[in-house]
Amino acid sequence: MRILDRLWKALDERLDLAPLVEFATHKEVPQHRHSWAYYFGGLTMFFFFVQVATGILLLLYYRPTAEAAFESVQFIVTRVPFGWLIRSIHSWSANLMILAAFAHMFSVYLLGSYGRPRELTWWSGFLLLLLAMGFGFSGYLLPWNELSFFATQVGTDMVSKVPLVGGWLLKFLRGGDDVTGATLIRFFGFHVAVLPMITTALLVVHLALIQRQGMHIPEGLEEEAKTRRPLRFVPNFVMREGIVWLLGLAALAALAAFFPWELGTKADPFASAPAGIKPEWYFLFMFEALKLLPAHVLGIEGELLGLAAFSLAGLVWFLVPVLDRASRRGHRSRAFLMLGWLALAYIVSFTLASFAGAFK
Amino acid sequence: MRDRLVLALALVLAATAALAAPPANVVRAPGKHAEDTCTACHMALDDARLRTPAQLTDSDIHHTQGITCAGCHGGDPSSEDAAVAMSPAKGFVGKFSHQAIPEMCGSCHSDPTFMLRYAPNIPTDQLAQYRTSKHGLALAKGDTNVAVCSSCHGPHGVLQVNDARSPVYPTRIVDTCARCHSNRALMAHYDIKGDEVEEYKRSVHYAALVTKNDLSAPTCKSCHGAHGATPPGVSSVSNVCGTCHVTQRDRFDLSPHKDAFAALQQAACEGCHGNHAIVHAQDDWIGVGENQTCGSCHSAGDPGATVAAAMSGALNGASTSLAGAQKRVDRVRRAGMLMDDAEVRLEEAHQAFVVAQVEIHTVNAARVEDHTKAVLTNTGAAEKLAAAAEAEIRYRRTGLFISLGVIALAMVALILKLRAMER
Repeated sequence: MRILDRLWKALDERLDLAPLVEFATHKEVPQHRHSWAYYFGGLTMFFFFVQVATGILLLLYYRPTAEAAFESVQFIVTRVPFGWLIRSIHSWSANLMILAAFAHMFSVYLLGSYGRPRELTWWSGFLLLLLAMGFGFSGYLLPWNELSFFATQVGTDMVSKVPLVGGWLLKFLRGGDDVTGATLIRFFGFHVAVLPMITTALLVVHLALIQRQGMHIPEGLEEEAKTRRPLRFVPNFVMREGIVWLLGLAALAALAAFFPWELGTKADPFASAPAGIKPEWYFLFMFEALKLLPAHVLGIEGELLGLAAFSLAGLVWFLVPVLDRASRRGHRSRAFLMLGWLALAYIVSFTLASFAGAFK
Repeated sequence: MRDRLVLALALVLAATAALAAPPANVVRAPGKHAEDTCTACHMALDDARLRTPAQLTDSDIHHTQGITCAGCHGGDPSSEDAAVAMSPAKGFVGKFSHQAIPEMCGSCHSDPTFMLRYAPNIPTDQLAQYRTSKHGLALAKGDTNVAVCSSCHGPHGVLQVNDARSPVYPTRIVDTCARCHSNRALMAHYDIKGDEVEEYKRSVHYAALVTKNDLSAPTCKSCHGAHGATPPGVSSVSNVCGTCHVTQRDRFDLSPHKDAFAALQQAACEGCHGNHAIVHAQDDWIGVGENQTCGSCHSAGDPGATVAAAMSGALNGASTSLAGAQKRVDRVRRAGMLMDDAEVRLEEAHQAFVVAQVEIHTVNAARVEDHTKAVLTNTGAAEKLAAAAEAEIRYRRTGLFISLGVIALAMVALILKLRAMER
């Protein structure tokens, strides 16, 4: 114990850590009927940590070339001790991370927590979700199997619709005209270097903002929060979050053991696309809606119009703290609340309907 | 003298050329659609019997290649006067008698020089073959019920044989033959049962043709010949089947059955597999029991029955082992394990099993067992891999339950600690 005390003293002398500990021990988390929503952000971060840890382990064996990628993943799941577990957890955790991020975003939105003074937190969170989807899109290609190959072809093809710079963007993403080994190494670079670097930096900003501003109490629950004793961040809230993380870990272990992530068959660029290629589930709501659009609407290409609409919707979602004037004064606007529920209903219904095969 | 010789030679050459090339008003440039007065007049006729041929000219291969109606029927297709156009003086024949049709078609189709201008790749021996066929021989004897060219290819609107609408296209030829050969009353005159097409339609060959759209699957003409149609004799059946089933025929030739069948005047393949209704051969055919193939010649206790029992036992053992291993590997794969190595072993086992089935034709039990042993070696290896995968699944699940137990303990500890703190 004396050693630990001496170590702490030495660090505190040099880094002046006492105010941070002081801050952490005095920080409080308000309690009300919706305080369950405070745990989703932490859960998302837990899955991100799992991704980093398992991703580093996969890097020890993965080879990012068109010739060897599939075989290296096959080697990982069949020959490397616990390789199957690491790969399966990495795939499952990626999906659960996106799910937790969506739950976090919608709970923040529907409880009206994005308003002043938390605009920067909302914006950094929105960018983090985009980055997470970027992780998913780039990581999907890495096993170089049939489904991921053709899904990437369809996905990257969409950027070519962007006016003026579409062609250039397509070449930038693919490293050429087609999805080839050049695309794979590029996506690998994005997945393991570029995206993690930006995400880590943005995550630090996001967390710092939350710590600085404290937890938001939704409008109408202020009185309830006053009557209930707030939780101390350390150790009470941290321990509760720990229980949630343990639940996440248990879910990951069970999914990896009972439903190992499939590897599929190796991509063959010369084969015709298999029937029913779909992107990852979190892109389905966009994918199915784009498929429903007619080829041309008022002389404009349907797909281009759809992509423009999604970009616009994304921009509105991003700018909600500015557009929702009531939120600037700490109030919730009914119109934006409705918009949130509509968006949620659309995403959930289209995703479920796609799984149920309603769009065939 | 020399001048006269040159002149005579020139005259002979000119005459030969004139004979080789039909008159320009009958046969136009190849590849160019023929136009004549015959179709123009016949199209306007009320009598459907006379109008239909004119209506079919657009799809007729001869017409599209520049051969007018007069190419077959004679007459002058350039004259608009019906009396001139159909004048016997202009060679007009009108409707051909049934017996005259093969010779008429053969007048062009047996002429290699003429056919070279239109279709250099098609054979020119159809008429020669036809004369040797059952149809041709009967026709020569004056039987006008037998098939001639137009019976199968149609008289007008004749399509190329590789046109899917042609009555002699692989998917349609069976029904074309059936027009006569399923007519039991007609076939009774020729001592033919008339159920051959019906039987053929129950065969694996027909199934391959219509369900897999396999155009190489044998139809009537593959075994009987097309123009030289005749039933294969006892001595040629194995050659007919062996055209496609080469390995089976080679193995049969190694067997004692070859000489025995020949001595009994029994057709080789047909003896066990039948002729038209050829179904998938089953392993349980082998033996001398009821409904078993070998029993038609052998009886219990004779050397043939002993060999059959040995072959049957070897095949059954291999088949059971293969099915069991396949089922086990499938079950493990459904549980999420990658079983590529086991799949390779199963594929090798399957191939060895197919070879063992072919070796049956040698009626040599040792040769069959050589391959069934290879099946068992491979299924054994696949079973071993499946067992290792099953052990891995058990290990993973045990690991999961231990992990979940540890996680649950940690959660309970946290909850208890929180309660103690917040009491």
